Amino acid sequence: MISDSITNASATAAPSAKDFGKKKRTNRSAKLKQSKLGLRREQWLSQVAMANKGDKEEIDSNRKPRSENPDQRDRPVENLDGLSREAEDNSGTHHHESFIESLSNSPNSILSGMNSIPNFSSSSSSGSGGSCSGNITEEEDPDDDGCLDDWEAIADALAADDDKHEKENPPESCEEHASIKQSASPRASVSGSNVAIRDVKPAMSRKQKSNQAWRPDDKLRPQGLPNLEKQRSFPVMNLHYSSVAVPSSCPICYEDLDLTDSNFLPCPCGFRLCLFCHKTICDGDGRCPGCRKPYERNTIKVEASVQGCGLTIRLARSSSMFCRS
Amino acid sequence: MAAVNGYQGNTPADPPATNGSKQPVPSTKTVDSQSVLKRLQSELMGLMMGGDPGISAFPEEDNIFCWKGTITGSKETVFEGTEYRLSLSFSNDYPFKPPKVKFETCCFHPNVDVYGNICLDILQDKWSSAYDVRTILLSIQSLLGEPNISSPLNTQAAQLWSNQEEYKKMVEKLYKPLNA
Repeated sequence: MISDSITNASATAAPSAKDFGKKKRTNRSAKLKQSKLGLRREQWLSQVAMANKGDKEEIDSNRKPRSENPDQRDRPVENLDGLSREAEDNSGTHHHESFIESLSNSPNSILSGMNSIPNFSSSSSSGSGGSCSGNITEEEDPDDDGCLDDWEAIADALAADDDKHEKENPPESCEEHASIKQSASPRASVSGSNVAIRDVKPAMSRKQKSNQAWRPDDKLRPQGLPNLEKQRSFPVMNLHYSSVAVPSSCPICYEDLDLTDSNFLPCPCGFRLCLFCHKTICDGDGRCPGCRKPYERNTIKVEASVQGCGLTIRLARSSSMFCRS
Repeated sequence: MAAVNGYQGNTPADPPATNGSKQPVPSTKTVDSQSVLKRLQSELMGLMMGGDPGISAFPEEDNIFCWKGTITGSKETVFEGTEYRLSLSFSNDYPFKPPKVKFETCCFHPNVDVYGNICLDILQDKWSSAYDVRTILLSIQSLLGEPNISSPLNTQAAQLWSNQEEYKKMVEKLYKPLNA
């Protein structure tokens, strides 16, 4: 019963899970996905920052020997259709670049921007010759390794992830935002109008550059991602649990507290002990050793439902075991 | 336990019932004594590493369930310069039940009787399994300087407590050094 309510709560808490229609996905997999997405977003951001830098310095020899920026800048707008063939391969990054540009144009409304991704696809298609919007979903699916099915899921996951990443590494992301803002500021005034097409041309060349810079990453990504995920996600968990001072051993029997024990908080006074000692005390006078107040059976359940993750399901079972005994 | 044994010996028809009730006792006892052993060994380690001034405790030679402790009288109390030996005896219920603590050295104190029994709430109804030997000895040490006059075991000491100079003379007169 308790676990049912917990899974229901998690389903409502993470709307992306609902979109997949797979109820069995837990919060953990959603978190992994979010961190994956966050990682990709950082890759995009760094990609764009790199490309913008390269464009400013007019260095294109080391990145791509084939295309030259001045030539592409002088091309008429109609060539964009020709370019769009190349851009098709790359529409994912293309889309995201324009997406990030608009982000940097309105840095204060990052979350709202992420939630309105369908609008982005239309605006980016109008800016770059109308070849992108059809390809986005085609292109994005192989990139995601099948982990994301549609844009709404991405939007939800990104929106949920964004706060975390802002907290996690503010200086890095600020740097990125700053560089992007700098590069985006010259054409910030003309975004969305027809005049912007001119500015799209350098943007396109940049996209191609980022295209070629992106490729090796693309191939490497399946191997590289899991390690990065672990580095990203596990310290966060550790931080979360170390913020609460949990003794390493039970103060009653001096045995080490395992994961279930260290998440077991039977008394509001904060006195922790292992489940065995708690059971022994409950069989006896049933008073908390920390404050001498009698244990309340209900507080255990409250604790279990408050935390709301996989650990607490185990907790709920153990507490129900206590209720039975 | 003794009554059960006697009953069992007198009527051999009953043993199945008594055996059934008796059987779980030894198994839980061994489990308990093992956990008590671990706890007492850890406490001993903590006491030896901690180095609290004025208190010490160590198990008797071959029985870790019986300890001898010493308490030094705190400074600026009438017990300054005196040292007291205590015995601590732990049951298999420890730490869920308090150990039995007694003064072995004669102690002239309102809350200690002539047999060395101590009237201290944390050794009785206010016991918590979070207490250990160290906190017991520290509590007794502070009890020496701050007796509870309202419920005395030694009424003579309680009456004399108001006169600290006379009290100190009495303590020194009755005090027997540990080595003696």
